[in-house]
Amino acid sequence: MKYEIIDGAEMPTLVLRDQLTFSDREQFDTVIDKLLARKKPVTAVDLAGLDYMDSAGLGMLLTLRDRAERQGAQVKLLRPKGEVSELLALACFDSLFTISPA
Amino acid sequence: MSGDGGERSGATRALVVDDERMNREVIVANLRVAGYETVTAEDGQQAWEILDADPGGFDVILLDRRMPRMDGMALMAKLKGDDRLRDIPVIMQTAYAAPQDVIDGLEAGVYYYLAKPLDRRLLLSVVAAAVEDRLRYRRLQIDLDKRSTALTLMTGGTFQFRTLAEANTLTVSLARACPRSKFLVVGLSEIFTNAIEHGNLGITFQEKTELIAANRWMQEIENRLDLPENRAKTVTVRFERIGDEVRFTVKDDGQGFDWQSYGDIDPTRAFSAHGRGIAMAKRLCFDAVEYRDPGNEVLCVVRGEGVQTPPGAATEAPGEPAAPAAPPGPVADPDDLRLARVMQSELLPREEQIARANQMTGLTISGFHEFSSDLGGDLWGIEPLDDHRLVVWLADFSGHGVTAALNTFRLHALISNIDAGRDQPADFLAELNRRLAGALPVGQYATMLYGVIDRNEGVFTYAAAAAPPPVVIESKTGNAHVGDGSGLPLGVTKLGVYRERKLALVPGAVLFMASDALAENPRENGANLGAVGVAEMVRCGVLARGTEADVQSLLAPFLASAKRPLRDDLTAVCCVWPVP
Repeated sequence: MKYEIIDGAEMPTLVLRDQLTFSDREQFDTVIDKLLARKKPVTAVDLAGLDYMDSAGLGMLLTLRDRAERQGAQVKLLRPKGEVSELLALACFDSLFTISPA
Repeated sequence: MSGDGGERSGATRALVVDDERMNREVIVANLRVAGYETVTAEDGQQAWEILDADPGGFDVILLDRRMPRMDGMALMAKLKGDDRLRDIPVIMQTAYAAPQDVIDGLEAGVYYYLAKPLDRRLLLSVVAAAVEDRLRYRRLQIDLDKRSTALTLMTGGTFQFRTLAEANTLTVSLARACPRSKFLVVGLSEIFTNAIEHGNLGITFQEKTELIAANRWMQEIENRLDLPENRAKTVTVRFERIGDEVRFTVKDDGQGFDWQSYGDIDPTRAFSAHGRGIAMAKRLCFDAVEYRDPGNEVLCVVRGEGVQTPPGAATEAPGEPAAPAAPPGPVADPDDLRLARVMQSELLPREEQIARANQMTGLTISGFHEFSSDLGGDLWGIEPLDDHRLVVWLADFSGHGVTAALNTFRLHALISNIDAGRDQPADFLAELNRRLAGALPVGQYATMLYGVIDRNEGVFTYAAAAAPPPVVIESKTGNAHVGDGSGLPLGVTKLGVYRERKLALVPGAVLFMASDALAENPRENGANLGAVGVAEMVRCGVLARGTEADVQSLLAPFLASAKRPLRDDLTAVCCVWPVP
């Protein structure tokens, strides 16, 4: 996983690239800490650069969502494409997250 | 546990099978000094000839794994297929660095291991433990055959015992009151003995090893029972028959023990003299074994045919079973994985279960499972509902390692405990989801496909939780129908709702489902199959073989080209509706 956190005016955006898989768990946990430390009501995750995500990757998004909710915050998923988009659809993640195509 | 019944008199006799002369001589020399009689064989073939000619002649077999002509595993297969030889304990010699040997061995029914290079003391204590265990089981079996009991009519009761003799009496009586009593007697004996020796008397694992090797185990138990501080200690057993379950709750007066490393996955266990008791009890006898902290209470559950509730007894549903908790955490070491893998394989349908389902429903079912390098969390199952309907399901936990494997135990326990709606896939998944959502840590979930094949209606009715879609191929036409696997993963939110979907089935149809490793695992050429590729591969396989297709033949192109080790567990199930 490659990532970058961009602090926009309204919300921080986590930009993910390459892959999000089982081996990224620990790193993703620290990324969650960093994101939530900003204490914004909405956090965005930009998936446009993500080519592949496995089931553990979905689990990491769920962990982010859960921890954000405990702070009263929401998570938005932006621009999923290809296999990642298909995986989110298969798991009906649109009922758990706001997913924006653009 | 059948055997020829009688106990051999005279010295204990060991068959030592090893192709290396030096190894044989070292073992023989050590065993002879300790008073054993020995016979040697140079390979599995020679060992087989010796055993076949004198099936009652041996108390224990020491087996090397790798040998010319017939190797250790091939000999195991022959032994387990022979009623005369099946229950002779086998001790396998293997290198520490070969966990796969232990996995294969446990699956073949080898419960005792010796590491190479050989440690003399360990050799003697493992041999003594194996022989002692067998004698004890045999005595219990003989008692079992003699006893008849009114306890089969009992719905509940509480018992107390203090000594090994009392424990044995109770073991036999209670086992008689249950189905599969021949196996149960072994498991109860292990659990009751543990409660006395480890629980009440505080004999440690290490002490037991030494006591057995010195042939002083029984005496030491007698001595300790007599100590003033132990005289009042008892073991209490509560017996309950609830619905199709029998529950034994066994509580001792001790301090408890570190049960987590005994029942499940203690990396040191496979190579020590004993301590397999609990794991073995679980494997052989119980549908669930659950320790309560601090470890001085254990609940053992037996389910299934023959566990009848007498008329008028309460049939209220049992509460949520607590399968082993799955702590989130780092990937476990290879030893943990090894034993978790063995236990996970035990949850998969056995051949006889598949054969029974085939016979009952007129379908032909085949399943496939290959572990990934670090264990995924796959599981599948079948359950005939009547002569024309079969439940088939496939689940896959997120993540890898011991956590995922332990989650499969949890799922397995939950599935067997949900009574309602087994023929209503959407309701069943919703209920399973509700229970899992309370039990799984955040970020862990399962994907699942659960459906009912109905031959009378000609339909596969299913519900899905983020699973790869089921595929139906008509063997006559090659027409493929790909279902829809979308749905919320199980365990994410209690509010999950699942949709019922249908795929039409006709005679000659082949239903195929697989975990996501099939679509996603890279092949040697770097590309993965994808959902479309999976459906096409299955279609080609069915066109080539018609209703002779089975899961192996359908997967063959993938198995031949997949990059190893697999990135995730691969599980696949194929159900063929034969043309009349």
